[in-house]
Amino acid sequence: MEVYEHDRSNTMIKSVSSLRSLAPVLIVLLLLALVPLFSPSNRFLSLAISAGINIIALYGLSVLFGQTGILSMGHAALVGVGAYTAALLARDFDIGFWVSIPVAGIMAAIVAAIIGIPSLRVSGHHFVIMTFAFGQLLTIILTNGGDFTGAASGLDMGKPVTMFGADLDALPRFYLLVVAFVTVSAVASWAIIHSSYGRTLRAIRENEKLAAALGIDVGRHKIGAFIVSGVFAGVSGVLLAYFLRHISPGQFASFPSIYLALMVMIGGARLLLGPLAGGILVSFLPEVLNLDPVQSRILYGACLIAVILFLPNGVIAGIADGWTWLVRMSKRRPAAGNVSEVGR
Amino acid sequence: MALCLGASGLPALAQDAGNTIKIGVVAAESGAFVSAGHTLPAGVGLAVKQINDAGGINVGGKNYKLEMVKRDDRTDIATAIAATQELVRDERVAAIFGSESHDFTLAMAKITQPAKVMHFAGNSTLGKVLTPEAVKGGGENHYLFQSEPQEFQRSGSTARGVLSLLEPLLGAKPKKSVVIAGNDATGQFLSSFYITALKAEGQDVPDIIFYPPETTDFSPFLTKAKSYDPDIIHFWYNGDSTLTALPQALELGAAKSYFMFGVDPGIWKERGLTADVPVAMSCVPICWGASSNPGSKPYFDAYFAAGAPHGVTSSVSLLYHDYVHFLAKAWEKAGSFDPDKTVDALMSMKYSGVVSDTLAFNETHQVTHATEVCAAAPGGDITCSMQQPPEKAPQ
Repeated sequence: MEVYEHDRSNTMIKSVSSLRSLAPVLIVLLLLALVPLFSPSNRFLSLAISAGINIIALYGLSVLFGQTGILSMGHAALVGVGAYTAALLARDFDIGFWVSIPVAGIMAAIVAAIIGIPSLRVSGHHFVIMTFAFGQLLTIILTNGGDFTGAASGLDMGKPVTMFGADLDALPRFYLLVVAFVTVSAVASWAIIHSSYGRTLRAIRENEKLAAALGIDVGRHKIGAFIVSGVFAGVSGVLLAYFLRHISPGQFASFPSIYLALMVMIGGARLLLGPLAGGILVSFLPEVLNLDPVQSRILYGACLIAVILFLPNGVIAGIADGWTWLVRMSKRRPAAGNVSEVGR
Repeated sequence: MALCLGASGLPALAQDAGNTIKIGVVAAESGAFVSAGHTLPAGVGLAVKQINDAGGINVGGKNYKLEMVKRDDRTDIATAIAATQELVRDERVAAIFGSESHDFTLAMAKITQPAKVMHFAGNSTLGKVLTPEAVKGGGENHYLFQSEPQEFQRSGSTARGVLSLLEPLLGAKPKKSVVIAGNDATGQFLSSFYITALKAEGQDVPDIIFYPPETTDFSPFLTKAKSYDPDIIHFWYNGDSTLTALPQALELGAAKSYFMFGVDPGIWKERGLTADVPVAMSCVPICWGASSNPGSKPYFDAYFAAGAPHGVTSSVSLLYHDYVHFLAKAWEKAGSFDPDKTVDALMSMKYSGVVSDTLAFNETHQVTHATEVCAAAPGGDITCSMQQPPEKAPQ
């Protein structure tokens, strides 16, 4: 009976501890949901929506990169699969936003599986190159897809997003919709991280051979992680298609994929706040600092080098480490003061 | 949240507040499309200055000045959309000009059209969405206007001009043409019309070779083109890539002559380019480096004096400059800034601009005008000619 009580209290401590990691994200998202109350400019809202759509894909990428240690450089292509699925469903079957969400998620997951099965037979740099090649391949397919994919001109999205009969096209409404999806993505990512599946992925990340020796089917779980990240990307693509109302292959080519990888690396993939911070930083830095694309790329490059050298787990993890160090130092100082007092 | 949802309705439509009317420009002033992008604010800005210097516009008995509000889209669609949202909803512009990119324009139109903002864009690819159904009153693109001729017209006049100017320089009628085009939205769309136009002029076109937009080494594409032994290789799109490809083509001796779409003879002269074979060039719509159009020199003198750089595609500014004047006249005629009355006025008018004395929109909101084609002889002499478009699309 005592053992049972001990286990139960341990579980409760773990639950409280894991909930503690979700709480800051939920607080930030709650604050972000209040932004429209302050009548921001439509330019700000529009950029915030674009950033939010990226962040949804980043939560998927954080499961893949942060938990499993696999970096995909073709993730924008999976976003494209979601976007084109939504546009084709709307055009050919008159299917709207809410049905497109699960269908596009499944489609992106299927494509991720198709890519993942051969790609994950290799690892490290080879996998990165294969995902990059996949991104390029998808762009070529879409560009040469004739009337079906709209070729290089792309596809129009005629349908608006509606909920309970209300049109969500107005920017503040669409912004709240995106914040809601970011929240769901963050919670889903948190649930994965704190599940036994998440622990399995981390075991693979830390030592693949040891994980395999312990009986973990490494290949299957890596493909699983890629599929899961594909679902996030697919959902992100649907929102993108409904926001822009026009999609074309160029939006899902190599540069958008590199930007997604950059965002997750700068923000940090292992902490829940990382994708949120990375998405916001990379989306708003050129706006805040009034940088042109060339200056932006130089800044991103410099940031990436700085993050890799000094904050290998990303900006958020760096800030958390810095905070912990400060707290520890402030606790030590009074103790050191006491010693000197005694010495005196 | 309910408050937010309640506060999210569409804002009031563009209104004439005070004595100033805002005209928005969304263009790539940085990024990959900067070459064409910087010509938009330069062309619109010059027209706005000319109108204001002449006293502004008189609408409904009241005098107004125009103000250009430009936004750099950084060649990024998310920024273009954010800029359009800002111009339409925050700045409350009465009209938007741009962008130079077909994709961006289509996405921007999803914002401008429901808000009833007049929208002008020089993308010939807009023909796909400017259908009679879409532009009629209440249609989804009623306030969208294409300031570039329909592509069969531009392709037709260009093909005719290239062949007629190169024939005397080659000493014989050219018979075989190969087209090399960039594999993006514009390249795919334009080249399909150009091939048809070349065939309508009696050309044998054995192949169209697409290259990825970022290409810098054209030798594989040129080698393939050379295998057809063509009289002319047509670098159909785009001007910046063409200037990279031509020296490689001359080195390889890929054809007996060349055509470079969208490269102004002014650039040919300024860069001191030479070729041992004839090279034709075309401008969209008239050239600044050499021109047979009497309106060219005064326009480009003013354009460059205002600080615009000498660019490969400086002439693209004319797809916007003339239409600011045209729109101002339409507002005066309508006696109102009401978008529906403005559309009616635009559709009932002809405007004498730099590009043409008879600029007018057809029933699908597209213009018709000539295109200028020039040819540089091996000795360096450049000859130019305005080419009228065909009346009907060739089959």
